Amino acid sequence: MKARAADRVATGVIIGMASLIMLVLVGLIAYLLFRGLSHISWHFLTSPPQSIKAGGGIGPQLFNSLYLLILTMLITIPLGIGAGIYMSQYAKANQLTAFIRLVVEVLSSFPSIVIGLFGLLVFVNLFHMKYSLAAGALALTVFNLPLMVRVTEQALNGVPREQKEAGLALGLSRWKTISSIMLPMAFPAILTGTILAAGRVFGEAAALLFTAGMTTPRLDFGNWNPLDSHSPLNPFRPAETLAVHIWKINSEGRAPDAPEIAAGASAVLIIVVLLFNFGARWLGRAIYRKFTATK
Amino acid sequence: MSDTAFYTKDLSVFYGEKQAIKKVSITFPERQVVAFIGPSGCGKSTFLRSLNRMNDVIPGARVEGEIRIGGRDINDPSTDVVRLRQKIGMVWQKPNPFHKSIYENIAFGPRYHGVKDKRNLDEIVESSLRKTALWDEVKDRLHGSALALSGGQQQRLCIARSIAVQPSILLMDEPASALDPVSTAKIEELIAELKRDYSIVIVTHNMYQAARVSDKTAFFLMGDLIEYDETQKMFTNPSNRATDDYISGRFG
Amino acid sequence: MVVRKELDDGLKQIQDWLGEMGGRVERALRESMTALTNLDMNLARKVLADDLRLNQIEEQIDEAAARLIATQQPVAKDLRRILAGITIASDLERMGDLSVDVAKAAIRLEGQQLVKPLIDLPRMADIVRGMIAESIRAYNEENVDLALKMAKDDDEVDALCGTVFRDLAAIMAGDSGTIGQAMLLSFTARYIERIADHATNIGESVVYLATGKRPELN
Repeated sequence: MKARAADRVATGVIIGMASLIMLVLVGLIAYLLFRGLSHISWHFLTSPPQSIKAGGGIGPQLFNSLYLLILTMLITIPLGIGAGIYMSQYAKANQLTAFIRLVVEVLSSFPSIVIGLFGLLVFVNLFHMKYSLAAGALALTVFNLPLMVRVTEQALNGVPREQKEAGLALGLSRWKTISSIMLPMAFPAILTGTILAAGRVFGEAAALLFTAGMTTPRLDFGNWNPLDSHSPLNPFRPAETLAVHIWKINSEGRAPDAPEIAAGASAVLIIVVLLFNFGARWLGRAIYRKFTATK
Repeated sequence: MSDTAFYTKDLSVFYGEKQAIKKVSITFPERQVVAFIGPSGCGKSTFLRSLNRMNDVIPGARVEGEIRIGGRDINDPSTDVVRLRQKIGMVWQKPNPFHKSIYENIAFGPRYHGVKDKRNLDEIVESSLRKTALWDEVKDRLHGSALALSGGQQQRLCIARSIAVQPSILLMDEPASALDPVSTAKIEELIAELKRDYSIVIVTHNMYQAARVSDKTAFFLMGDLIEYDETQKMFTNPSNRATDDYISGRFG
Repeated sequence: MVVRKELDDGLKQIQDWLGEMGGRVERALRESMTALTNLDMNLARKVLADDLRLNQIEEQIDEAAARLIATQQPVAKDLRRILAGITIASDLERMGDLSVDVAKAAIRLEGQQLVKPLIDLPRMADIVRGMIAESIRAYNEENVDLALKMAKDDDEVDALCGTVFRDLAAIMAGDSGTIGQAMLLSFTARYIERIADHATNIGESVVYLATGKRPELN
């Protein structure tokens, strides 16, 4: 009887805690959406911001966030997966790899503002990249690489040894075994890691303040030449992202509708992150199904 | 008496400092089944895994002595381990089909080794599945997931997968120990069929299975080869006292 | 349906060997009786020579049975089939030996005249040969009815055996010079009667194989 009572209490406590977390989460999202949704309109999503007048939008910032996400992932995913494959499949278990692993761990717990300053010193100043999307993407890569490496490494280590041996025993080369048999199996876990990393890119502000910058030049959305300084695709132009924009108007916004803009932008940010999450998961499942022929 | 498929001479395998196999010499006859029996940890699986250099995968594993297939020492630095493994199929204790369709599980190996023509691949898939008595059971769902098959079917699929790349030797590491009795009987029946085309080495902790399926039996104990002889002789009149005790179930 | 090829092949082999033994025993009995009736020494020696093969087959069956038990773990009917096979082989081997004894009796009579033409002895041998053939058929078909019917013939053989004893006793009482030959012929009747007993034993094995029960048919 006593054990059963204890069991009930424990179950109750756990359910209570889970409910509390759910409540906070739902409350937070509901609050942000409630405050922001009324402000979202086609005009708000597409027009440039105003510094002193009311009625400014977040068009360039939204574009910047999405574009920076793409640039960052273009660098982070191949690097992270490559390094993860190396750490899990090729690196010998010695002191050097143990040290690399330690560095990766430490790097992943760095505060993002420190990464931002590192980006300022190295990419912006040392490499003369100025405040630019490229510098921002590199800083975010530094920020996300440890996560990607660790996730890939763990996902590959999670593939049963027999799968790898089955590939090798068929006379497949090591790389073919990894790329065609192990990576598809590790794909769901790697995808989860990628979504986490992408979410961090979207929400990150501190690391971008001094790398991608806090301004956006006048953009000509009809100009798709990536080398032109007014083209939105130019990776070497400064770019204020949505998260940075929210931070900026909250701290120094002079437009009369600054609070509403911040609220609307926050809601947009959350919606995009949610959409991205669900979309990526759906796509991932579809790809995984195709790989594995499961229904 | 049949020809020799391959042989080992004074083969030792070490895991770090520990010697798992102690100078074992065995000659494997062509197109016969050789069974390895012995208590857990006696080295039988280690020995098997050294035959296609699968121990390379395990950090700290080291091999001494000779394993000669067609006259060549497979541990020679000039040996192309990828080609070697193509010639030696392997089947594991737990069925491990790739997480792909039934068709892809089999077509994958041959395609990698250069068979690009769709019709040829189809033929290989069908003949491999027929040889493993699986064709009639799966021909209507070749493009469905291999993981939807039963354990026994998965194991036969794994055997089909390994023979699709045309090996001459099949290594089986307790291929039926994770299966129910009916599936086990089917695997044993299959082994009897396959020995017409392949030289088979099977590790089994079930000595009755060794008795049923093999032509020759090797008894291992603590890394030593205690006795190696015709299975009939081993199970009716073994020369060694330890073998007698083990197969009579009076061991330890 | 799973096929146990190794085991099934082994069982078939044993069955084939038993069939061969049955045929050979039947022939040995026929030839030894002919040799005795006609005092044909060559035929009698042939029976002696042929017996070697019977012993050989029995050994082969024993060996195959041991191999199958050791390597194939037969149970239930498969096991009974093997156990019955061993017993039947041993019966057939003894029947072969008894036929040889009849042939040896013929050889002992070399150069003598028979005290009387043999009538009942060949009749006994005919019946027993029929029993041998039927016992093997009953085994092949696992036919319990046939085995029981065959075993009934043993009574007739016993009765004939008694008749032979009485006739020979009368002859011996009439002429003491015939005692040696009459004793030998009495033994021969006894041998043939023993062969019939072994045939009933085979019938018992057939019943055991088919039903798992061991009846007493004698």
